[in-house]
Amino acid sequence: MKQLLRQQLVCYRLQLKVITTSWFDGALAVFFPLMFATATLLIYGVRDDPEAMQFAGLGAAIMGMWTCQGVIASSLLTRERWAGTLELVVAAPTSMGRVLVPTTLALSTIGLYTVVATILWERWVFGLELRIESWPLFVTSVLASALTLAQFGFFLAVTAVRYRASWSLGAALEYPGWLLCGFVIPVATLPDWLHPLSWSIPTTWAMEAVRESAGGGSPWRDLLVCLVLGSAYAVLASFLGRQLVDSARRHATLALT
Amino acid sequence: MTTLRILLVGGLMSYRAMFNWLSPWILIPSMIVSPICQILLFAYIGRSAGVGNDEFYVMGNALNYAAIPCLFAMSATIEGEREGRTLSVVLTTPAARIPLFLGRALPVIVNGWAVAMVGVVFGLLVLDVHIPGSSWPALLLVITVASASCTGLGLAMGAVALRVREGAVLGNVLFCLLLVFSGVSVAVDDLPGWMAAVSPWFPLTHAIEAAREVADGAALADVIGLVVREIGVGALYAAAGLLLLRWLEDQSRRHATLERV
Amino acid sequence: MTAVEARDLRRTFRTRTGVLRRTATEVEAVRGVSFDIQRGELFGLLGPNGAGKTTTIKMLITLLLPTSGTARVLGHDVVADVREVRRRIGYVFGGDRGLYERLSALDNLRYFSELYGVPPREQKARIGELLEMVGLTGRERERVEGFSRGMRQRLHIARGLLHDPEVLFLDEPSIGIDPVGARELRATIASLIDVGKTVLLTTHYMFEADELCDRIAVIRAGEIVAEGTPGDLKRLVTVGSVVEIETYGVGEAAVADLGAITGVQSVAVEERGQMQVLILHCARDAEVTQAALSRLDGVRVGRVGTREPTLEDAYVELVSRT
Repeated sequence: MKQLLRQQLVCYRLQLKVITTSWFDGALAVFFPLMFATATLLIYGVRDDPEAMQFAGLGAAIMGMWTCQGVIASSLLTRERWAGTLELVVAAPTSMGRVLVPTTLALSTIGLYTVVATILWERWVFGLELRIESWPLFVTSVLASALTLAQFGFFLAVTAVRYRASWSLGAALEYPGWLLCGFVIPVATLPDWLHPLSWSIPTTWAMEAVRESAGGGSPWRDLLVCLVLGSAYAVLASFLGRQLVDSARRHATLALT
Repeated sequence: MTTLRILLVGGLMSYRAMFNWLSPWILIPSMIVSPICQILLFAYIGRSAGVGNDEFYVMGNALNYAAIPCLFAMSATIEGEREGRTLSVVLTTPAARIPLFLGRALPVIVNGWAVAMVGVVFGLLVLDVHIPGSSWPALLLVITVASASCTGLGLAMGAVALRVREGAVLGNVLFCLLLVFSGVSVAVDDLPGWMAAVSPWFPLTHAIEAAREVADGAALADVIGLVVREIGVGALYAAAGLLLLRWLEDQSRRHATLERV
Repeated sequence: MTAVEARDLRRTFRTRTGVLRRTATEVEAVRGVSFDIQRGELFGLLGPNGAGKTTTIKMLITLLLPTSGTARVLGHDVVADVREVRRRIGYVFGGDRGLYERLSALDNLRYFSELYGVPPREQKARIGELLEMVGLTGRERERVEGFSRGMRQRLHIARGLLHDPEVLFLDEPSIGIDPVGARELRATIASLIDVGKTVLLTTHYMFEADELCDRIAVIRAGEIVAEGTPGDLKRLVTVGSVVEIETYGVGEAAVADLGAITGVQSVAVEERGQMQVLILHCARDAEVTQAALSRLDGVRVGRVGTREPTLEDAYVELVSRT
């Protein structure tokens, strides 16, 4: 147990180092959504309606998480494959899941950082003070978003590794996530046929929980749904992960040379 | 005649050499799905904020996304060569520099134009966009000018990327700046004062304004001032890029910096 | 005792081509390979590119499933006892991939120490020892992206040894390393045997195999064509001596002509810059030099020499036999 914790901690720390020392995955993953958040807030700002700004401000704060976790996670394994390290990781006696969990947690850390950075940005640049009725519930909801998005990212990582160009897939996931999860557009305004897709992403529920707790409502129902959904993706992902390694051994697809 | 050949054939060849790894698996998500999604994102944001109309966002974002191929492809044709250690080979040829690099820009401009058109056509088919038939020739021209001036910025960026290495980051940062400053989703009039003051210095700003007016039925003569200014801004960046390249080439002959990867 | 045992290993690959109409082609990369490696032995697997060396190694280190046949490493089956096998083996491949570029050498080693479950108390000392052994002490805090190929390769070896594996698989470790680096690498590999490790090494460099390996198997088109000590292999070759003739601008017809001389068993042409070196494998006691030179009339000829066959000659003959 102690050994496992240590392994998780060391892998988390080193993976965080890998991400934060990269301009592309680190700085850009924060900057890119921040600029989209800025454009969004500028649009909402035209009407000068405090209700609308509160709605957009909350969503913009969580928006960056999608980029840092969902988008980067989807190219995670592919990147290891390009670097030639995926083979070595698989050849080690430690199971794949134990390597991926700390990695996705490292991404969550960056995700949480973007939340804080965006909230500060909104305050300094737009003079927008978010109204948060219950800070404990708000923080809980944000943490739940990070956790469930990590689980979903884990799922994306193992699904996307089969797709050689998954970095471009990752980039193509960015906007759909922003559209579907109701960050800055109410899900209800989207066409009806997209609603089930929105509901199948845990982040949609997490966003709802964040709004509820900021507005003084009860986030518990949304939190429950988002945690159940997230866990379901995690279970599915670890099953797929095992399948992936097995199939890679059968078809020789681990290295990408 | 030689110059013309370097311009056309050389440009096309190097473009194909750089991008032969672009398979449909990368092209479709990055050149079709993403621009459409960006248009949808801002069109819906506009709808729920009650600001602007679909056409406003379609024109702005379609042109904004044209910057992706213009910036990335143009700088990749320069930067990719350094990675492949071929830049010094190219530079040791006696070919004149200006047609050499401008030749590379031509296929890039076509690419940017096509990406913008994907967005416009999508807006026509799916969103609430109606463009009078008589406006089409002017609109196509404005879009061409927009991608040409973005490619000018791409040339400058490619020159800078030779030195700073992080070309992909630089391209994304420029793209984001265009998004905020060029009136893509927020009309320049609605930007805070200092932002509105710098926006004329970005490519796209004038072209987007011109495209919106043309789509609303304005004639080419009405927007010719904007078009000329857009060309001017693009030419400015292209000239800066060429000068920077010349300077870097000079520097590299002295300090051997070009090949340092 | 046997450390590695391969029995009739086979592996076929399916490759698909085309986007819309996918056509599958089957390639037999390894076609029934069997060998045994004793404990403490340095076993070389030689063969041209695409002969199936890497595929064989990947089956042995559990990264690939054999299509048929079995293999055991230290008594553990590579298909059924995956974890047991992985715990006991190290894997190092050549080239500059397989490292986290943005991490320091030390961090790379720490990361894999955790993945191999090296006990925390031993880690620090172990990593220090290995850095010392591969000569990277003092550079361990630098990021790998600034490392030269030789340094990366040595770091790879340190990584492969972190968990003190009993069996080590080295897949072309000396590829692309300069002569001095390669010499140091050979010394490192030789020292592994001194401490009782078992090593399977693949390489293209004959002198490397000749110097290091206790036994060698030559693999060609997925099959082992010869196996034995370097001395055995040299004897396998039926040549008595090798005549080398430097020429400038020799034609194909002239080469074929030389092959017809009695006593000449084979002729190979090696391009060295502007000249072509003709390598004639001759039967024992055959005197062919004069005959050869007379047939090269009109061709500019440089030095001419006769020498004993080397392992390389044996290898060339083995892999080019049809």
